[in-house]
Amino acid sequence: MSYEMIAILMFSSMMLMLLTGQRVFGAIGFVGAFAGLMLWGTGGADMPFSAAMKLMKWYPLLTLPMFIFMGYVLSESKIADDLYKMFHVWMGPVRGGLAIGTIGLMVLISAMNGLSVAGMAIGATIALPELLKRGYDKIMVTGVIQAGSSLGILVPPSVVLVLYAMIARQPVGQLWLAGVIPGLMMATMFIIYIYVRCRIQPELGPVLPPEERDVPLAEKLRLLRAGLLPLVIFAVMMVPFVKGYTSLVESSAIGAMAAFVAAVIKGRMTREVFETSVRSTLAISCMFMWIILAALGFGAIFDGLGAVKAIDHLFTEQLGFGPWTILILMQLSFILMGTFLDDTAMLVIVAPLYVPLVGSMGFDLVWYGVLYTITCQIAYMTPPFGYNLFLMRAMAPPEISIRDIYRSIIPFVLVMTFALAMVIIFPQIALWLPNYVYGK
Amino acid sequence: MPRFILSYIRAIDAMNRFIGRFAMYLIFALIGVLLWSSFSKAFFTPSHWTLETAQFVMVAYYVLGGPYSIQLGSNVRMDLFYGGWSVRQRAWFDAFTVLFLLFYLGMLLYGAISSTAYSLGYFGTEPFAFFWDLMITFVTEGASGAAEKMGFMERSPTAWRPYLWPVKTILCIGVFLMLLQSLAEFFRDIGRIREEAL
Repeated sequence: MSYEMIAILMFSSMMLMLLTGQRVFGAIGFVGAFAGLMLWGTGGADMPFSAAMKLMKWYPLLTLPMFIFMGYVLSESKIADDLYKMFHVWMGPVRGGLAIGTIGLMVLISAMNGLSVAGMAIGATIALPELLKRGYDKIMVTGVIQAGSSLGILVPPSVVLVLYAMIARQPVGQLWLAGVIPGLMMATMFIIYIYVRCRIQPELGPVLPPEERDVPLAEKLRLLRAGLLPLVIFAVMMVPFVKGYTSLVESSAIGAMAAFVAAVIKGRMTREVFETSVRSTLAISCMFMWIILAALGFGAIFDGLGAVKAIDHLFTEQLGFGPWTILILMQLSFILMGTFLDDTAMLVIVAPLYVPLVGSMGFDLVWYGVLYTITCQIAYMTPPFGYNLFLMRAMAPPEISIRDIYRSIIPFVLVMTFALAMVIIFPQIALWLPNYVYGK
Repeated sequence: MPRFILSYIRAIDAMNRFIGRFAMYLIFALIGVLLWSSFSKAFFTPSHWTLETAQFVMVAYYVLGGPYSIQLGSNVRMDLFYGGWSVRQRAWFDAFTVLFLLFYLGMLLYGAISSTAYSLGYFGTEPFAFFWDLMITFVTEGASGAAEKMGFMERSPTAWRPYLWPVKTILCIGVFLMLLQSLAEFFRDIGRIREEAL
């Protein structure tokens, strides 16, 4: 059998295995281990385990449990309540202001944790009921929370970019910095969209009633202090790292500690919060680590076949596609897969295949990391099987139906696609900041 | 369900839960090591042991916590079809697919054991024979006799040069616990198919 055939066979059998709904790491690990055994006998038998050693030596992976822990502490301890209140009071008098404030809230939460789940949980439980009570349109509000929370994986610290960095062998620091401006740009676009929409259709986002708007200035200023907390946590974590005093991993530990201390000082670290955040951190970290472990084993065998070269050859020589066509096709296939695959699974399955290809076509891999992340964000939100859609369904109040959720994301997906196109056309949006900081 | 299978499920669940709850708190050990690392970097000479200690703790964290995470049901599945099935349909599929998982874990365990043997200075191809031999010698001739059986101990190629056998032993134990837990899941699925209360 030719190596291309084996590669295709491995890939398709893995897809088939995944469809049975078994644990993702078991499916990937099995196909890898089995192929290794068949191809190289006893030499291949050790390959799944060598992945464990590779995993151990990959230093930036230590940030993973740190950021997960941080995210859980922040969302479980409800520190974000005060943050929401701040935006509520300050933005309330503007048309659609609460929705705009929610985007701001999401940006701050994104700057404190690396997954979109925390933002989603905070948005759906704190912001959503408040906005509905104030007469905001439920479809728009649902879209706002989904779009806003998806920023969590683009704005640093981002877990998705850490994983991407491992697979693409790119520095995490540069990738994170590359995510900053596109993330803020996207948030700004959301805000502009909400503002314009509410100008045209004021009934979508009414201003707060006068009695609620009438907050004394002293109180307003006091609430502003709540906004300091995320800034302090972010600064404590990022400044020593960017200045080069601490490594990325050490910074993430400082951030985790800072979030924990903040929760304790605010008196929110109850027994229950402690138990939930520590246990969930273990559960999610284990899920990630075992998938990565299995995927590294799979990837090693896949690489050993020279599968990437074969696929590269297939696209460029036999089908005669130019690099840009291939790039756009890749993004489309990501969106397609993201509608029914979990983010990590998608990354570890597809990235080993695509990333070397992107590199060999001469594209910048840091830039591609940002493209990849934005595409992921879009993919999670697109029906029928977007990952975020289900999370939203699980967390939102019952009056929001799955149809509302589907309809809510359309304008935001358009905005995000526009942002994606901007980053593709003007790579400087992503690359300016890392180049500036690292002095390239 | 035979009685011994029921008690097997209960015993494994209890044991892995205990071990997993221990591993859960390793996150604080990890934070501690990393904070000390940045602290020592800022105020004294940087410690050279922190990086690898953190990595070892991390391995223990996810490999010993793995079985507990299965109990918590946190492992993602692709729920394109799975999400719409009934409990029994799921159990039918799971009862088969868990065999793939067991195969993978078996391979992982084999790799872990032979790598541990290597880290104790055995370079041959039969790690099980080596461990058997080592155990016999330990029983008959004591610790010093067993020590002679071992060859050059593998060390990490860094300034600290820690031995690698402890972390590899942890990996062996963790993967083995994972196997035991998956087997328990298999029995549980059989129970669901037969609609028996476990």
